Amino acid sequence: MLRNECKLLASQRFLQTKRLAGLAFLSAVLLFASCDSTKKDGSTGGKTAGDATTEVNNTLSGTIKIEGSSTVGPISSKAREEFNKKFPKVNISVGEQGTSNGFSSFGKKETDISDASRPIKDKELAACNEAGIEFYEMPIAYDGLTFVVNKENDFCKELTIDQLIAIFRQDTAAKTWKDVHPDWPDEKIALFIPGIQSGTHDYCVEVLGKKDNQGLRADATQSEDDKTLVTGVKGDKYAIGFFGYSYYEASKDELNAVAIVNTSGVAVPPSVSAIEDGTYEPFSRPLFIYVNKDSFQRAEVEEFVSFYLDNIVDIVKASDYVPLPQKMYDLVRKTLDDDQVGTHYYDATGKKNEGSLDQIFSGPAVSKPKAE
Amino acid sequence: MQDHVQTKRDRSRRWFDSGFSITCLLIASLVVVILVCLISGILWQGAPWLRPSFLWNAHHENQPNESGIGQAIIGSGMVCLICGMFALPIGIGTAIFLEEFRPRNRWLKWFHNLVQLNISNLAGVPSIVYGILGVTAFVYMFGVFGKIQTDRPSDYEIGIHYMYQIKTIGGDYVTFPCEDKFQTLYSVDRPLMVTNAKGETFELNVLPKGASRPSDDGLRSRSVFAGKNASITSQKEFYHMQLPFHKSALAAGLTLALVILPIVIIASQEALRAVPNSLREAAFGMGATRWQVVRGTVIPSATPGIMTGAILAMSRAIGEAAPVLAVMGGVLSSTLGLTNLMDSTPTLPVTIYRWAQDDNRAFEGLSAAAIIVLLLFLLVMNSAAVLIRYRAEKNKG
Repeated sequence: MLRNECKLLASQRFLQTKRLAGLAFLSAVLLFASCDSTKKDGSTGGKTAGDATTEVNNTLSGTIKIEGSSTVGPISSKAREEFNKKFPKVNISVGEQGTSNGFSSFGKKETDISDASRPIKDKELAACNEAGIEFYEMPIAYDGLTFVVNKENDFCKELTIDQLIAIFRQDTAAKTWKDVHPDWPDEKIALFIPGIQSGTHDYCVEVLGKKDNQGLRADATQSEDDKTLVTGVKGDKYAIGFFGYSYYEASKDELNAVAIVNTSGVAVPPSVSAIEDGTYEPFSRPLFIYVNKDSFQRAEVEEFVSFYLDNIVDIVKASDYVPLPQKMYDLVRKTLDDDQVGTHYYDATGKKNEGSLDQIFSGPAVSKPKAE
Repeated sequence: MQDHVQTKRDRSRRWFDSGFSITCLLIASLVVVILVCLISGILWQGAPWLRPSFLWNAHHENQPNESGIGQAIIGSGMVCLICGMFALPIGIGTAIFLEEFRPRNRWLKWFHNLVQLNISNLAGVPSIVYGILGVTAFVYMFGVFGKIQTDRPSDYEIGIHYMYQIKTIGGDYVTFPCEDKFQTLYSVDRPLMVTNAKGETFELNVLPKGASRPSDDGLRSRSVFAGKNASITSQKEFYHMQLPFHKSALAAGLTLALVILPIVIIASQEALRAVPNSLREAAFGMGATRWQVVRGTVIPSATPGIMTGAILAMSRAIGEAAPVLAVMGGVLSSTLGLTNLMDSTPTLPVTIYRWAQDDNRAFEGLSAAAIIVLLLFLLVMNSAAVLIRYRAEKNKG
């Protein structure tokens, strides 16, 4: 504050002192020179964006502002890039300041779309209502991972979180299966895990090691290529590995998935339904985008959101996330088509809805739950 | 006896002396070793990514091979240019005022001392504090000029044309002029003159609701159903300006100007103080006015010093991440690039910061490569400063 006052005072003095007209002229020259370069910068920027593939639609223009979760950000950025190949004149900005910051801007009409790694909270909903914002709630992907073992592995059918920590974490790093469970064979564990470049790796670190600030063990075979992991686990009876659920789906015949004992003590094997109904925890969570209804009236936003939905599976996979089942995307599209504004996570009385994603989204959307 | 004590004390004195100089040498070489380690580490990590395409490509999500710092270089250049344009004239002007136009009036003297005191204190304020100030003062402008909202254009703006765009049955978009920029939607129910992307102007064919779709492609791209909404969009000129400044390159440049202003002022003051008083007195003796003295004598001989200070301040500005991050957010790439001063843009330091913590660890290598580029820029700027100083000293001699 002081700094600004100081600058203002200084510049006022500057103007009062007419004797310094020469310097004022100098700054005018500089100003002119910079205007010139602005123009130059602008044209180069435009040119790079203009070079694109054949089926380009240059007719749509506009600006879309997206803000929110850094988990969802990569998906939206991917969607932005693909969309811009087709519609190069739409200027889209994707911020990653976090879900809560995203909703805070969303509630002030500063953004058109909010990325969220959790459903909207009642306070954020109240802020939207106060500002007169209606929105569409759209789940777009699951963030999830699957632990796999060799087909011939007949002992490891389920694992608890503590056992997973024992196997994968740097500080515990169990050498043999016997170290994990006394009944299991005294054989060396071979680990095949996604490399540190992968988001899946980070997510595993988050679940298993974040609270104690521990990483995954370094003596595991790491690869960015899921295929290498599949081949590795396939070739060693005592191997274990993990990767995104979508990749497990593709190699189901070659590997066995390990059931994970969730917080209610039930061993749940990974499956679309288990991921959907939320019992496959803590290794899955839905990710959302929230679209402002007024913004959706704008042609560029509508075009972007429908492009997002049309190509959602590719976009989600390219960003290393798990796509929702097609049924879910149909429900999401129905939300748009039927103009269902509001959240599905609260009922009309303000009570929080529980259950699977598709149970939740089969119900009506509520924009103004009654305040308790 | 006396002699013996003297020698003993002497010896330990010398021993201490050489010991101290060795310690100093060790500490100094430790600094060098750390620096060498850091730089060689960065070179080792970043060099494989340094390719020509890296210099002009934009960032691409999850595609390290296609990503580059093209937009960041342009962004950094632009932000620093704005920063220099404001900080240098104001800073040098303030320094001249403080040094050469010392007031005699009591109140002005008091003001003079206040400014001097503030500047000395402000030079030590962390840059993130200026960043927060920049957000309030430039991005939102204290809310004086209204809020920033997606559905409401700014009341104070130039260089922007509004129009409506509507999707034809053929899938193309056509535009027509907008009269009220605060009306975001316009329901089309009667024929209008519209323009398509090729610049052709024609009358829009408005079909009644429920009519069958025309089969001819040409007709399809000229037709809409009655009642369809056209939405507002805009075209911005390169000189587009608006109040408040939003998260823009201009706001970031101004914030950086605040960061380096005290540095510029203090360096320029030092340069002006170094001008011998005899020069001023001689000029006054010739009957020159104060302005003539400053213009003809003081500024020419202080220019090398002022330039050095200015360049060093600018190299501080180009490396600042925190204020830029606070003002523009962590933008990594923009679709159209920097088309006007109201656009937000990536800058080199912010790109380095974001890449270093990207989920995709390959970007750590790119981050190192970007550091190398930034270091090169700094090296060039700093050697320019050294060169200017060297030239000036040689001329004096």
